[in-house]
Amino acid sequence: MSDSDETRARDELISTPGADMLVPNPMNSMVGGSKPPAAEVELSGEVQLSERQQARRENWRLIRKRPAFVLGVFIVVLWSTCAILGDRITPHNPLDFRAEPHLTPRAKFPFGTDDQGRDVLSRVMAGSRDVIKVAPVAAVLGVILGVFVGMIMGYFGRWIDLVLGRVVEAFLALPVLLVALLAVTTLGNSTWVVIGVVAALFTPIVARTVRSAVLAERDLDYVTSAKLRGEGSTFVMFREILPNVSGPIIVELTVRVGYAVFTVATLAFLGAGPQAPSPDWGLQVSDGFRVVSAGIWWTTFFPALAIASLVIAVNLIADSVQSVLEAS
Amino acid sequence: MGRYVLRRLGSALVTLWLLATIVFLVVSVLPQNIGRRVLGPFALEEDVVRFNHTHGLDRPLISQYFSQMRRLFTLQFGDSYQTGRTVNSMVFPALLRSGKLALLAFVITIPISIAAGIYAARRQDKFADRAVVTTGLATSSIPEFVTAAVLMSIFCVHWKLGHVYAASWPDGTSIIGQLPYLLTPAMAMVVAYFGYITRMSRAGVIYGLQSDYARTATMKGLSKGEVMRKHILRNALAPTITVISVQIGYLFGGIIGVEKVFNYPGLGRTILDAVNTKDIPVLQGAVLVVGMIYMVSTLLADVIIAYLNPRVRLETTR
Repeated sequence: MSDSDETRARDELISTPGADMLVPNPMNSMVGGSKPPAAEVELSGEVQLSERQQARRENWRLIRKRPAFVLGVFIVVLWSTCAILGDRITPHNPLDFRAEPHLTPRAKFPFGTDDQGRDVLSRVMAGSRDVIKVAPVAAVLGVILGVFVGMIMGYFGRWIDLVLGRVVEAFLALPVLLVALLAVTTLGNSTWVVIGVVAALFTPIVARTVRSAVLAERDLDYVTSAKLRGEGSTFVMFREILPNVSGPIIVELTVRVGYAVFTVATLAFLGAGPQAPSPDWGLQVSDGFRVVSAGIWWTTFFPALAIASLVIAVNLIADSVQSVLEAS
Repeated sequence: MGRYVLRRLGSALVTLWLLATIVFLVVSVLPQNIGRRVLGPFALEEDVVRFNHTHGLDRPLISQYFSQMRRLFTLQFGDSYQTGRTVNSMVFPALLRSGKLALLAFVITIPISIAAGIYAARRQDKFADRAVVTTGLATSSIPEFVTAAVLMSIFCVHWKLGHVYAASWPDGTSIIGQLPYLLTPAMAMVVAYFGYITRMSRAGVIYGLQSDYARTATMKGLSKGEVMRKHILRNALAPTITVISVQIGYLFGGIIGVEKVFNYPGLGRTILDAVNTKDIPVLQGAVLVVGMIYMVSTLLADVIIAYLNPRVRLETTR
């Protein structure tokens, strides 16, 4: 839901008449101008803001022009629509409808029916809900925690960096899926456990990225002058440095959403997630794959394809964002 | 070189200790009754108390922590809650079977993806390059169990080329005879890991092709093939080796889904059985063993890279 809204809001912002006029030459170096000289900052805070806004608009314009991004957004919006509207737009009720079990795909049931005679198409449409709800929340939570930890590591350095660095390294050695299974076994099968574990396992990965971005900023003039002004560490970290490392953080966020979809879907397939009769994709594959050997491939194939399409779509978006932001 | 290896080994041990602490915390961080969780809501209270006592779960956390650490450093991971066997006797044979599958996957993946990386780098930004990179990005982002299910539908059921049950070979089949059974599940992992390794070797070769040493080698009259083999590959391989070693850790996550689809009795099935029966010691043991494998493989990778490139080992010993 928030995905499509946000995209629309940004689109409107960008397509406002005159917005493009602010950037006379699309390939000029406005993008690199996100850090104005210190003198300008002192004259007026507004100059800095508008330049940063211009750079952002320019990046957005470049990202939107990429076909991979457009395709990715299209697929994500499609599945989000299915997730929000659920059984209001499915041809049949995904849970209650009953026909003959294991009907092959045909005009009335394009994806066939499952072992209980439910329409696979309706279930695939409704099954997007769990992944689309859980994965972004886990990714955002992981990124927020990771920004916090990485900021502290990069800004304070010394022994804090050394100690946290070791913990991060240990986390990276943990097999994500295995630890998630261990946690779900001991803490229970709830959505929040899945969100919490995925977020916790993403935190150190994000922290490492943020740390190295902060290290590059820490000794620049604008940070020194903020310190000399007598600003506290919290202000310098989150009001001065954070806006300047937003590029890598946005990239990391889009990449993490992709991995979150991957992890949540796999956990659902392994039984650590929604339970029957939920139409969740991973659960459907888990219910269906045993009868594939009997030639009943459609109950497995279509939900599997749905997972693949969503993961690829998110990665197309992440890849477009990454190539534009890293070039600037 | 020896000092470098020792230093790396020391830091690996510290990481291992932290890793084990994290695993301990995952299980014990929230105040909860493990006996109740394992035996279920309908078990008698006295059974729960007895269960907790037998497994030492009623001792203070700090003492539980020390016995956990002792188990880790003696490589004895304790006893299963369910079967009464030691965790080692359940985890290691399964690990060996998974290792066989994983090894086959890597033996196929590594040459294909390094070759694809060189091929793509030579045609940088042309159609063939884009095609290889995009395919790699797409396939490596799909969960392994999805690839496994799709490959099984197509190869094993539609074309009847492979076996739906990966371990259904008759007793006493030689390792060569087992290959056709293992090939389709291994292919699912090849599809998943091909992308990363290709991307790294492509980036390494592109970097090498633009370097001064490659130009010098070309100008002193070496053929294209010789420049590639003797100069570029040696340098391009380092990041590729790192990625491969990191993949080995991920592999033991992804293999769970593949083993479930193909009904293969490896580590994945042991783990899933342990999840279903809430056999926490087996899960802890599995996480720690996989963590150790990851650390040994990254350690080996670093040593190989240091061996290939004197700059690395001299810089870090200083």
